[in-house]
Amino acid sequence: MNTKIKSIIVCSIMALFIFGFSALCIFMPKPEFLDSERREPEKLPALTLENIMKDGKDYGTSFMKLFDDKYTPDNFPFREAFRKIKAFIGTYVFAQRDKDGVFIADGYATEMQEQINKDSIDHAANKLQFIYDKYLKDKGITPYVSIIPDKAYFLAEKNGYLSMNYDQFITEMLAGVDFAKYINIKDSLTIENYYNSDTHWRQETLTDIAGLLINGMGGNYDSKYTVNTLDNPFYGVYAGRAPKPLDPETIYYLTNDNMQNIIVTDYQNGGKQTTLYDMEKAYGKDPYDMFLGGELSKITIENPNAKTDKELIVFRDSFGRSILPLMAEDYAKITVIDIRYQIPQILLNGVEFENADVLFLYSTLVLNNSFELR
Amino acid sequence: MLFSSISFLYYFLPAVLILYFIVPFKFKNAVLLAFSLFFYAWGGVKYAITMVVAIILGYIFGLLVEKYRGRKISKLFLFLAVASIISFMLYFKYMDFFIDNFNKILGLNIPLLRIVLPIGISFYTFQIISYVVDVYRGEKAQKNPINLAAYVAMFPQLIAGPIVRYADVARELECRTHSLELVAAGARRFIIGLAKKVLIANSMYDISEIVYKADEKTVLFYWIYGISVALYIYFDFSGYSDMAIGLGKIFGFNFLENFNYPYISRSATEFWRRWHMSLGSWFRDYVYIPLGGNRVPKWRWFINIFAVWLFTGFWHGASWNFILWGLFFGVLLVIEKFWLLKYLEKTRVLSRIYILLAAMTSFMVFNINTLGEAFQYIGGLFGAGGIPFVNAATLYHLRNYAVLLIFAIVGSTPLIKNVATKLANSPKTAKVVSIVEPIVLVALLVVVTAFLVDSSSNPFLYFRF
Repeated sequence: MNTKIKSIIVCSIMALFIFGFSALCIFMPKPEFLDSERREPEKLPALTLENIMKDGKDYGTSFMKLFDDKYTPDNFPFREAFRKIKAFIGTYVFAQRDKDGVFIADGYATEMQEQINKDSIDHAANKLQFIYDKYLKDKGITPYVSIIPDKAYFLAEKNGYLSMNYDQFITEMLAGVDFAKYINIKDSLTIENYYNSDTHWRQETLTDIAGLLINGMGGNYDSKYTVNTLDNPFYGVYAGRAPKPLDPETIYYLTNDNMQNIIVTDYQNGGKQTTLYDMEKAYGKDPYDMFLGGELSKITIENPNAKTDKELIVFRDSFGRSILPLMAEDYAKITVIDIRYQIPQILLNGVEFENADVLFLYSTLVLNNSFELR
Repeated sequence: MLFSSISFLYYFLPAVLILYFIVPFKFKNAVLLAFSLFFYAWGGVKYAITMVVAIILGYIFGLLVEKYRGRKISKLFLFLAVASIISFMLYFKYMDFFIDNFNKILGLNIPLLRIVLPIGISFYTFQIISYVVDVYRGEKAQKNPINLAAYVAMFPQLIAGPIVRYADVARELECRTHSLELVAAGARRFIIGLAKKVLIANSMYDISEIVYKADEKTVLFYWIYGISVALYIYFDFSGYSDMAIGLGKIFGFNFLENFNYPYISRSATEFWRRWHMSLGSWFRDYVYIPLGGNRVPKWRWFINIFAVWLFTGFWHGASWNFILWGLFFGVLLVIEKFWLLKYLEKTRVLSRIYILLAAMTSFMVFNINTLGEAFQYIGGLFGAGGIPFVNAATLYHLRNYAVLLIFAIVGSTPLIKNVATKLANSPKTAKVVSIVEPIVLVALLVVVTAFLVDSSSNPFLYFRF
């Protein structure tokens, strides 16, 4: 092959690729939602004189920088296919075991938790101590505490990934909340309790865990449920970050007749009446938000047909949302508090602690990065 | 705008290529200039105004120097040109450094100006100086301001070099050829440079950052840091130079080579003949030789050498790290000239280990923000502070980046190039190479695009230059 023909071939292929994708970048319709990343793509930044003239420390929010770093990668044609190519090259050519700390083992994606963050543990313990001192101590209430290990506990060490010492983590955390009684659910959980592509646990596998919590607080758990299937594919938080593409999963949720009359009140939105399972959110951007309506700072679950007249006050993170519906049969009222979004003094305004069990239910993910607790 | 961005590859580049190749030759420099100004203004509109002012000064002084050539006033115009252009650099790049050090030495509290450094100012000011000096030395002044502005602002080499000297492209600014062969060669070189930057340099940066951020350091971690930083800087810088040279070819310019596998050198002297060659030759021709070079008494020669290396270090950034980095090489070169070089020439292995260690430690000083931290890292290479040799995290990350480190180490030698050249020139394999080459280039472009679309880091090394 002479040089001229070779040059024609190289030039033609390059031109086809560059100009072809350039045309697609400009003319191809932009995606409305990035499914595997569970987010909307960046919109074209506002083309204003102010945005164009930004420089120095303001350059990060200029039209040019947002166009370069956000808009063009998010809206690139066949973005998902290119992301898969990157994952393939990283895994099979560069032999990298993780992608920015996220790895896949035994079919589950999770993120390495390399080190115990002592400051974070202390911060979380101080926040729970504050609640105990202010609301529980004088009333003689002993709260319960339970810690949910993240998926790396089950996967990291045995698969050769970096892992913190989870036993040491829990010991240190419990030492900081020695006023509370520990309910050990860690030893009853397995990796099968969790979604493959998400941080969270699967509700349909949690009846035994709900039983452990209820029984640990002096109850007698015997609830039975029907398994329902949500017909909306679920991409967990790791689906878009894992080193290999992950298939969408199915969310299952549990119901029984007793749940029919439960009243859920959302105090974050002015006392709006809602349901245990928000079916609108089930078909939204993050189907896991169907459980207790997503990230709400304060809700109550009232069950007129509860087995007892006791109340439960739960301080929780997002893991609590899927397990608490399974505990609703055993309490007349459950008050669900998330102190990541509001200070406890406001959230606990009007909450009665008499005749109530109190449970601190947190995952290691939040406790090891707890500075958002307020 | 970065070459390694979707915006450049799929918006800017197609637009400039279409317009450049459809206009008649007499408008090509104007198209290049217009797109270059847009390219530069993309990083900050005000910076472009600064550059235009510098170009206007260069243009006027070039004409004045030529008009009065041979007369004393010509020298005065040359001095004014160099002084005014240097003052740009002094103000934008070094003012806060001087204020800060005055404050420290004299106990003053003069507030810093917090001036934002225009990207690439060190490159384009040196090109303007080279233009005026070349005119003073006999080169014809550029009468067409668009041609001169196109030379200074030409986007392929504007923000990361190579430093193109006016004399090298003066003829091509007026008349140059375009051909499919040149475009193909340019595209090939550009894609190789792009892959070096996006796939290798960015990965080396990532592992160096993992080490830098690790809470518990080990001796092996410091070695990984040193090696990855040296590879990151090389692949980033030489990748940018490859892209610039490739783009230059596409537009009909032949820029000189800037890197020639510096890590196979056997002395610091050889290293600097292979590393950032355009900067080395610029300092040689516009600083070292005008100072007298080596044709002066020995004490003056010493001063000349150290002046050049002081400026070389300082050119890279307004920080003592860079000055120390430059002077470190100055000291090595003097030691080599007077004593070491003859011993280095006798050994093939020790000499390479020597320069690899020297380059690695120097780039640790280059890359770390403070001198104290840089010395801590160099000490860490030898276990200073009683740190462990290795831990689980070190081994994990080493394993995770092992293939990339091997790619990078092999890629920093001429091995791949030599094998490819041999295969291309062999009658048995030439045909296969011809078929495989375009496939490899497209595959590289696809992979690079994938890494840019899903980018977690795309560092820009030259923000302090």
